[in-house]
Amino acid sequence: MNRVCVVDTALVSAFGDGLPPLWSGLLAGRTAIAPLQRFAADRYLSNQAACVPGLKAQSGESLLHPLLERLLVQLAPVPGDCRVLTASTKGGIDLLERRGRGEACPMEAVLPGTLPTLVARRLGLADTGLNINAACASSTLALARGAAWIAAGAAEAVLVVGIDLVSEFVFSGFSALQALAKDVCRPFDVRRDGLSLGEGGAALLLMSEERARREGRAALGTIHGWGSANDANHITAPARDGCGLVLAIEAALAKAALTAEEIAAISAHGTGTVYNDAMELTAFARVFGARPLPVHSLKGAVGHTLGAAGAIEAIFALECLARQIMPPAVGLIEPEAAGRGRVSPEAQAIAGDYLLSTNSGFGGVNAALLLGRPSC
Amino acid sequence: MLSARLTGIGWVTAASHGWGSQGQKFAIIPGEPPSLSRAELFAQPDRRFGRMDAFSRLGLAGITFALRDAGLEEWREKRAIGLIAVTTYGCLATDRDYFATVIPDGGALASPQLFAYTLSNTFLGEAALRFGLTGEALVVSEPPPGGLAPLGLALENLVWEGASAMVAGLCDLAPPEGIPALPGLPPGAVFIVLERDRRTGAPDYGELRRDNDGGYRLNGTSVADMVDLVRQGLAGRNEIRPPD
Repeated sequence: MNRVCVVDTALVSAFGDGLPPLWSGLLAGRTAIAPLQRFAADRYLSNQAACVPGLKAQSGESLLHPLLERLLVQLAPVPGDCRVLTASTKGGIDLLERRGRGEACPMEAVLPGTLPTLVARRLGLADTGLNINAACASSTLALARGAAWIAAGAAEAVLVVGIDLVSEFVFSGFSALQALAKDVCRPFDVRRDGLSLGEGGAALLLMSEERARREGRAALGTIHGWGSANDANHITAPARDGCGLVLAIEAALAKAALTAEEIAAISAHGTGTVYNDAMELTAFARVFGARPLPVHSLKGAVGHTLGAAGAIEAIFALECLARQIMPPAVGLIEPEAAGRGRVSPEAQAIAGDYLLSTNSGFGGVNAALLLGRPSC
Repeated sequence: MLSARLTGIGWVTAASHGWGSQGQKFAIIPGEPPSLSRAELFAQPDRRFGRMDAFSRLGLAGITFALRDAGLEEWREKRAIGLIAVTTYGCLATDRDYFATVIPDGGALASPQLFAYTLSNTFLGEAALRFGLTGEALVVSEPPPGGLAPLGLALENLVWEGASAMVAGLCDLAPPEGIPALPGLPPGAVFIVLERDRRTGAPDYGELRRDNDGGYRLNGTSVADMVDLVRQGLAGRNEIRPPD
């Protein structure tokens, strides 16, 4: 099996472009979730979301285009033979909103298959690519697939791009499901009351170790294991016993030939909904027992970025491993009982080489990635 | 080279619907596939089916027929069977219907019921729930549409990830008004079951292989697209393997 290296990354979040503004915001315990300006939210449960600053679309185009451009411009040249995997739940859904309100606008960007084409054309790649939709685990599964291709020798380089927008379409839906936090979300907090939506994108260029060496690209980190499983339990709610997430984590550990004891920390899905966070803590307890293990959720800082979440969190996780620290969990005040000793409103030190990143979503989807330091 | 046994075929198209061992003629023609009733699909009442959007009903019907053909419809314990589907338009018709509930009254009347079906992968969750399937479940979209991407992903899951069986196929309604129609297969749901190993009592449509150059072959014959695969499979179906 070929080793899978992450050799380049790009990120846009509500903190701005690149990882540094996000990282410094996290260390300062700040949130980018703020009152919405994009659409009127007075009839919804909340008026809070984490929107990318300065995002403006040309007439007739989706906000997805400038967001994608701000992401891809950060990348160093990508090899022409690189395969492309994109991950998005709703792509250019803002166009469907505008059409619904009677505005004439081209609708191509609404089609899910157009996103990989946009990426490939912009970067001059030969591959036509694939878009993966597995709800909020989309980009985690795209990273898993890209890693699997490289590990098996089916590809030498794979670019994974996760991206999604804050839209009234999605915002209204979570409001209707009573799933939005009234104020800023508080993942793993005893008084959490829902999620806050966010938008953003992340790109990770994966290469085999051999190809990275030939290209003179330094590894920022490694992907050692991946797993996926369905709860087969409910369409919009997680299985309370965490059965699917446990299966996904166990599969990732088996793929990586690692034991649970070798995992130094967890970047969890941590949406801030009552049931998701309880399910995750249950699953983590089943796999890792009572061992103190830093657990973090990014969503109190950047909101739930849907199909982009896994990719953003993977870049965050690599930085945590590199710095051997897990920043404060923004939004957390009083940890849920099952999370005490794991989640913290303070920064936590990490001691180890491997970090587990997990996401779960509608349709009962669960996904797990095991990320490692470059030397692993 | 990746390979697996093809053990189930199910479809819903404008021309016909059914599954391989049923002896029904398979065809896919332009036109909207039928919206099957619960009674045409399941013998017992199913309180979820009536709530689903048209896209989910179509996809669930295709998956149901494929699993029925493979003898995998009935279950007692959850099984590590995965689901991979390709779609061009996904649930865009549902998206349009949902957003029509958002526009009046500033979103106060948005339908949570419809919103749950505004993800293209929701119908895979419905199938996982109904049939106790705990394997990977995802939807892909490829430019240009061809329908073969799920075959490769499913074979990878079987050979590389240790899955015992995968359901793979395509699901599309006609594009809703205002959405550009792309070249590709007519609307419908066409699903197959792939299994890593021969299974006693299972139908056997032959061995599906992905060559190192990325091409697909069923029993050594090149496969052009999903429809070609199903036609070849139905034409060359072997006798059910008797118990050892």
